[in-house]
Amino acid sequence: MSAHSPAAPRFGRALEHDSVLHRRNPTVKLLVLLAVSSVLLVPVDIATPSLVGLALVPAAVAAGRLPMRTLVTTCAAFAPFACSLLAVNAVTREGEVVAQVAGLEVTRTGLVVGASLAVRTLVVGALAVVFTTTTDGPRLMTSLHQHARLPARVTYAILAGYRVLEGLPDAWTTIRRAQAVRDPTRRRGAPLPRDPASLGRAAFALLVGALRQGERLATTLQLRGLGSGPRTVHRPVRLGPADAVLVLVTLGVCALVVAATSRAGWLLTWSTLG
Amino acid sequence: MSAPDGPTTGRRGLSLGDLVLLAVLATVLGFLYWALVQAWGALQLAMGPFGDLAQHVLAGGWMVAAPLATYIVRKPLVGIVVEILAAFVEVVFLASPVGPMLLLVGFVQGAGAELPFALTRYRRYGWGVFVASGVSAACASVLMGAIRFGWLQQDWFAWRVGLTLVSSVLLCGLLARVLGDALARTGVLDNTALGRARRAAARPAPQPHDEVTVA
Repeated sequence: MSAHSPAAPRFGRALEHDSVLHRRNPTVKLLVLLAVSSVLLVPVDIATPSLVGLALVPAAVAAGRLPMRTLVTTCAAFAPFACSLLAVNAVTREGEVVAQVAGLEVTRTGLVVGASLAVRTLVVGALAVVFTTTTDGPRLMTSLHQHARLPARVTYAILAGYRVLEGLPDAWTTIRRAQAVRDPTRRRGAPLPRDPASLGRAAFALLVGALRQGERLATTLQLRGLGSGPRTVHRPVRLGPADAVLVLVTLGVCALVVAATSRAGWLLTWSTLG
Repeated sequence: MSAPDGPTTGRRGLSLGDLVLLAVLATVLGFLYWALVQAWGALQLAMGPFGDLAQHVLAGGWMVAAPLATYIVRKPLVGIVVEILAAFVEVVFLASPVGPMLLLVGFVQGAGAELPFALTRYRRYGWGVFVASGVSAACASVLMGAIRFGWLQQDWFAWRVGLTLVSSVLLCGLLARVLGDALARTGVLDNTALGRARRAAARPAPQPHDEVTVA
């Protein structure tokens, strides 16, 4: 593997330590996360997504031995989206008016739906962070090839894309500096220009360079006979009973919460919303 | 893995070269989109309750991969494949908070953007088809959002539809054509269907056996 400069972001790599979640099958983890976020599409009350989150997020963080700081900093990145969901729903839905803010009517229904969507975003976001920080991208591709029967051509194409991605931050910096240094009006030591035109030029150059690199990679893969027949796998990924336990526990918790809130009369969906 | 998907696939199937091109396209656009999102959260907060509308202004931008890839590779399913790959890169490698639901969103948006090209049987690439691609992608995107976030019951539904339409036609449809032509002019796409079509158009009397000629 290529040596990384320590400052470069480690895209698609799991955190260094080992944990229960690190050892689970990546395909199973991806499917479980997909299932949980599909279940959370249904309720629009506050209780259901909150209870699912309270049950699953601490368990996932503990099982993945995730540092609290990592969770908080990455969740802070999508908190604005959650806030804007709450704000926009509060003022745009029909219902009993509870307050007037700057000429906009805040309704009870709007507050409930907005809070529910915001909580859903935070819960799914936190679980997605746990997934990415405990899953190695290349290992997931091996597992998808082994267990989800994805053709080797597809997984290798994605891995080629991944190889390009690893170099993108460095390529971006190089292109930006190279373009700035050719600007005759620039003073020495001035910061890099941030206007849309120069950012667009750099983005275009980045795309061209990446496509060239991709073409070379495709030629290399073809020269090595990739896609010409069945292949063996270098380091197989295991699929064991513990993965079945993960599926049963997670989906069981979701089913229990939905059953409980529905029993208590708290469960709201788009069709039962007043 | 028993399917005969080797290099002998016909003209219509996706070759390894096509797939790598799509993956690279998806990766770079996914990376640029990720960089844009870093700056976008603050804007959303600053716009207060209207912050949610900011996503519609940008909506077309994250669907541009589908018409661009279809323009370059010119085979069925390319738009859908590239959108799913882009979603995959964002979820698995760039830690998108949307989670794997993004794969489904990518599928729906890719299908929406590709539909007009499929209707011309991947033969026509005029400006009109790209506008239609933007409109169709906008419809798919709004439909998906209506299901996920219940936009139909909100007051601003017309604004959402309008902004998404304008953004999709400009940033998804027309931008894809402009970007594709600009990329083709640099020469990186010479070995793709787009590059071959441009060479054929530039040559008044096409001769069938001179594919190796260096322009």
